[in-house]
Amino acid sequence: MPTSIIGLLMMCSTIPSQHPVEQLPERFQSYRVSEPLNHTPDNLYEYINGAAEMYLSYGLAGMRGYRYTAENQPDVTIEIYEMTESRNAFGVYTQSRDRDEHAYGQGSLSYPEATLFWKDRYFIVISSSRATPESSAAIRFLAETADKAIPQEGKIPGIVGLLPAKGLADGGMLYFHHYIWLNAYFFIADFDLLNINEQTDAVLAKYGSPDRRTYLLLVEYPHEDATTAAYRRFMQRYAPEADNGKAVRLEDRTWFIGWHNGNRLGAIFNSPSEDDAEELFRAVISKM
Amino acid sequence: MNITRRDLLKTSIATAGGLMLPSVMRKAWAGEPGSDSSTVVLIRNRNLFAGDKPDPAVCRQMLDEALCRLTDKENAGQAWKSIVSADDTVGVKTNAWNKFPTPAVMEEILKEKVLATGVKEENFSINDRGVLNDPVFRRATALINIRPMRTHAWSGVGTLIKNYIMFSPKPSSYHDDSCAGLAALYDLPEVKGKTRLHILVMFTPQFHHTAPTQFSEEFTWRYNGLLLGFDPVAVDATGLKILESKRNEYFGEHRPLNPPAKHISAADTRFHLGNADPSKIHLIKLGWDETSYV
Repeated sequence: MPTSIIGLLMMCSTIPSQHPVEQLPERFQSYRVSEPLNHTPDNLYEYINGAAEMYLSYGLAGMRGYRYTAENQPDVTIEIYEMTESRNAFGVYTQSRDRDEHAYGQGSLSYPEATLFWKDRYFIVISSSRATPESSAAIRFLAETADKAIPQEGKIPGIVGLLPAKGLADGGMLYFHHYIWLNAYFFIADFDLLNINEQTDAVLAKYGSPDRRTYLLLVEYPHEDATTAAYRRFMQRYAPEADNGKAVRLEDRTWFIGWHNGNRLGAIFNSPSEDDAEELFRAVISKM
Repeated sequence: MNITRRDLLKTSIATAGGLMLPSVMRKAWAGEPGSDSSTVVLIRNRNLFAGDKPDPAVCRQMLDEALCRLTDKENAGQAWKSIVSADDTVGVKTNAWNKFPTPAVMEEILKEKVLATGVKEENFSINDRGVLNDPVFRRATALINIRPMRTHAWSGVGTLIKNYIMFSPKPSSYHDDSCAGLAALYDLPEVKGKTRLHILVMFTPQFHHTAPTQFSEEFTWRYNGLLLGFDPVAVDATGLKILESKRNEYFGEHRPLNPPAKHISAADTRFHLGNADPSKIHLIKLGWDETSYV
C-alpha cells in the first residue's frame, strides 16, 4: 500500500467523529430551529436544574441539541447527551426506560410526546409538551436522523451478560455506578452500603412475576480486596448470620443470599422460596 | 440516617408488599419528642374538568372551601383575610416548568383572592425562576407556595419543599444525596417565617417519568384534587402517599420512587420543618372520595 494512503488512513482513524447534532437540519416539515442547546456538566443545571444530577451520576461529557418551533404546534426539542463512555449512555437508558423497544439506536422507547434511545456514547431524548400528528411526525424524523448520524454502536457492560435470562422481567434491568440508584426497584439501604462508585460496575435486575418478585444485585469491583471489604461491610450490616452463598430466611419470610466470588459480589433479595433463591444463585454462578 | 431494609424488617415496618414511608422511621429510630400534629386538607371534585381544562368556577370553589376548613373560618373572605392582610406584600411562588406548570387558572384565582383582601396590585407578584430579582419578592412579607406534584429524576418527587429552590442563588448546592437537605431552604432570609399557605396541586399528578425532561400524559391521571396546609412537609408527605399508591396500582407491584424522596422525611427528622409521620398528620378530606388513596 502506498505510504500516502497509509498516512491518510491513520489520519482518518484519529479524527474525532462528527457530533450528531451537526447533522440535524435547521428546517424540516413545518419546523425550524428556534434555539440551539449547548450545555456542559457544569451548567446543565441552568437547563434542567436538579434533573442534571442523574446524567452527572453517570458521567456526562456535555449536552447539545435544538429546540424547534412550528406555527400552531407544540415545540419539539432534541437533547443529545454525550456521555464519557458508551457504558454510561447504556446506563442512562436503563435508568430511563421501563420496557425495551428497538425502533432506534441500540434500544429505544417511544410515547406520543417523546422518544428516547441510546447509541454508542449518546443518550437522546426527543420530546414535545403535548402530542399532535405534526409533532409526532417531527419526533420520528429527528429520531431517524439522529440514529443515522451516529455510525458506531457502544459496548454493553460485561456484567450485564452475567444476568440469567430465565425469569428476567422485560425492561427490568438497571446498570449503574452511583450508590443512589441502589434502591431503584427495591429499598435496600439509604446510604452507600456496598461501596459503589465510578470504579465499580453494578447491575440490578427484577426476576419473576410481580407477585413473586425477586431482585438480583451484582457488583464488580476493581480488584478482589475491594470486593472482600465491601462484602464484609454489607453482610455484617445486612445479614450477619448468613454464610457466603447460603440462603437465609429473613423476618418477612423471604429468602436472601449474599456472596462474593473473585472481584464480584452478588445478592438475591426477596425470593419467595429457598428453592427459587438457590436456583437463581446457581444460574448466576454458572455464568461467572 | 443509614438504614437498611433489614433494619426495618427487624422492627416489622417493612413488608413483602412494600416499605413504609421513611418518615415512620422516626418512631423506630430517632426517639425524638414529636411536635404537634399538622392539619392537611384534601379537597377533590369529580367535575373539576370541563373538557380538557379545569373549570375556573370549580377551582375557585374548591380553594375557598378547603381554606375555610383549614383556617376554621365560616366564609372565604374571612379565610383569606386570616392568612393575608391589606398591608402585606405577597409573592406567589409558582412552578413554571413548561411541560407541567402550575395551572394558570390557579395563579389567576390566587391573584383575585389576595387582591380581594386589600393587598395592592403593586405589592403582588407571581414568579418562579425570577424570584431573587423580583422587587415584590425582595420586599415580600408573605409568601404563598403553589405547584403541581410530579416525580423527579433526582429528588424523587417535585414538592412544595423543593419549590423554594429558586430562592437559592446556587440551586445546585442543594443537590447532594438526592436533595436530602432541601428543607434548609426554609431558613433562607427571603423565605424564613413568611409562608402563609402551601398548595399542592393534584389535578393531574405525574406519578412516573422516564428520562428526566420527559413528560407523558400516560403517567398522569385525573385525581381532581388540591392539598392545602400550613406545614409543607405534611402536605408533601400526603401527596407522596397518593403518588406511591398510584404507582403501585399502575405497575401492579410495589414500585419505589427512584431515587427515594429522602428530602421529605429529612425535612421532618433532620430539619424539624414539619411532620412527615402520618400519625402526626390530621387529614381532612372534602368532596369526591373515590380512589383517593389516603
